[in-house]
Amino acid sequence: MTIGSLIGILITSILIENYIFSRFLGICPFLGLSEKPSTAVGMGCAVTFVMTISSAVTWLVYTFILVPAGLEYLKTIAFILIIASLVQLIEMFLKKSVPSLYTALGIYLPLITTNCAILGAALLCIQNEYNLLESIIFSFGSAVGWTMAIVIFAGVRARVAFSETPKCFKGTPIALVTACLIAMAFAGFQGVELPF
Amino acid sequence: MTNNKPTLKARLFEGLFDKNPILVQLLGTCPTLATTTSLQNGFGMGVSAMAVLILSNLLISLLRKFIPKQVRIAAYIVIISGFVTAVELLIKAYLPELDKSLGLFIPLIVVNCIILARAEAYASKNGPVDSMLDGLFMGLGFTFALSLLGAIREILGAGTLLGFNVMWPSYKPMLIFVLPAGAFLTLGCLIAAVNAIQNYAKKKSGGKQ
Amino acid sequence: MSNILYALLWFAVISGVLGLILAFASRLFAVKTDEKAEKIAEILPGANCGGCGYAGCSALAAAISEGKAPVNACNSVSKEQIDAIAAIAGVASASEGKRYRAQVMCSGTNELAQKKYVYAGINDCVSANKLAGGDKLCPNGCIGLGTCAASCKFDAIHIINGVAAVDYEKCRACGACVSACPKGIIQLIPYDAKHWVGCSSRDKGAVTKNYCSVGCIGCKICEKNCPSGAIKVDGSVASINYDLCTCCGICEQKCPRKIIWSARSQSEEGIIRFKQDLSL
Repeated sequence: MTIGSLIGILITSILIENYIFSRFLGICPFLGLSEKPSTAVGMGCAVTFVMTISSAVTWLVYTFILVPAGLEYLKTIAFILIIASLVQLIEMFLKKSVPSLYTALGIYLPLITTNCAILGAALLCIQNEYNLLESIIFSFGSAVGWTMAIVIFAGVRARVAFSETPKCFKGTPIALVTACLIAMAFAGFQGVELPF
Repeated sequence: MTNNKPTLKARLFEGLFDKNPILVQLLGTCPTLATTTSLQNGFGMGVSAMAVLILSNLLISLLRKFIPKQVRIAAYIVIISGFVTAVELLIKAYLPELDKSLGLFIPLIVVNCIILARAEAYASKNGPVDSMLDGLFMGLGFTFALSLLGAIREILGAGTLLGFNVMWPSYKPMLIFVLPAGAFLTLGCLIAAVNAIQNYAKKKSGGKQ
Repeated sequence: MSNILYALLWFAVISGVLGLILAFASRLFAVKTDEKAEKIAEILPGANCGGCGYAGCSALAAAISEGKAPVNACNSVSKEQIDAIAAIAGVASASEGKRYRAQVMCSGTNELAQKKYVYAGINDCVSANKLAGGDKLCPNGCIGLGTCAASCKFDAIHIINGVAAVDYEKCRACGACVSACPKGIIQLIPYDAKHWVGCSSRDKGAVTKNYCSVGCIGCKICEKNCPSGAIKVDGSVASINYDLCTCCGICEQKCPRKIIWSARSQSEEGIIRFKQDLSL
């Protein structure tokens, strides 16, 4: 585990295996909250915050409670319980301590609980057998990649909203076609081998 | 059964077409895009999700009078994740190829918006048999949409269907359809087609009046 | 069987610990809610238009409950609602605030105003404005692509025949359209104002005549005839000072270009229909 391998994990999770355009995780809010760039940025910040913390906590619970007890096969249940509780805790903490941040991000927090992005990151860290530091960097990078994707998408969508689309394509279908074109652009990163 | 309750046939068509979870309600798009690289994968994912949906609807409906309102979402999630773990272990044991192709998305059935939405909207308010049927019909709609998407992507992207060549011999498969970009494109065009059909039906019934 | 019990036991422990942490945290991080502010917020319309100067209806409710804002700060509530808000806040009630409405100071419909080019770009006034100031020949004319209509939360402004028009009854004078208009030709005038000059052209009379068949040419006939000195020509366009205006209507009668409108030309829906009122 060198600095090089950590940077490699970071870049891979942001660009090469982009969370949305390669892994297809977190699509529901990607399609639902990307109509204005400002909501996209807000959601992205909330997801980054929650994903990094939850990956760290779920890794700790997995390594120090589930594995010694021989209960790895129950990780799905344990992780989702932890994530739901964590989101609730973060919401309470923000409401009391940083009210301005709560008014900005607070409405997105309940949407994050049943979001495959967070649970997906936790499970991927276990699947890839990362240690704690690698897990944190991986989930932080994945969330940054997610935020980047949703902000780019929101910007293009805001422009497409002014164009005259055929009636049956208005709304989600033209957004999906737009996502296809952005995915093609990201496909250019496929197969890039980092030297570290 | 009272008169104003929709018949079984009507509910089946509702689940398949009018209120199709993916194409009309736009829920559960993550597994839709990721697991439909072929008809087999799409169908397998649909059936797994349907199994979890039916079982969790049944259990939630049986327990609906005992779950307190404040913790109901957490309770539903625990019940659903229990069934998902069971389905996951069964697939790992008996269908290893499906497990390899679906990968991460089997445990992610837990956070599939469809299951939680149906639990909240239907199973918490209706009897066990009704809830099971609702799970069955919504699950059939989900599987239908996934299979359709998988079939289109497989035919265009690999020239095969269920492993058999179905296109003419000189057909060069359009690789983009099995890549992520193709997933977005196919789903977008499918939803646009569904919208067009609905608009046409609305215009026709509006014209008749 | 023991496996199942073992797993159940561990999960009961994990869930119990999580539950305890959450219960403890809900005590530790409890936020006192202001009941008065919540009740006031229920009465307010909830449109979060910002017309009162606060960041949304809940912010205004909190300010009223703390005594920092007057009870009639919101333009969208009736007298009974103001009384109810005053009762909750425990202060004396007040009369309704002076009501305002938005008014688009341009009458250049598609038939009346000349265009300089055929615009085929984005359907948005701000974008069209970047291309040499929009497709109307007059540099201060309404572009008519609907950025103001899109910004209105109350569906009170629409584009009719190439120019924006305000529905007086629906308008809440929140000022969203005023900031949205890239030409800056929408103004907030008193709701009771009976007359307004429907032009914002800053060019000399001879030039304005080429732009549009009804633009104000700055001839000052209205200024000379106004008994209260309310209407003045500033540069090349007339404008009315509503503190002095007595609604006598002399300016409207005397205007040679018929560019001063009056409220009697409202249609049944309350939206001015330029074409039917124009008797040219």
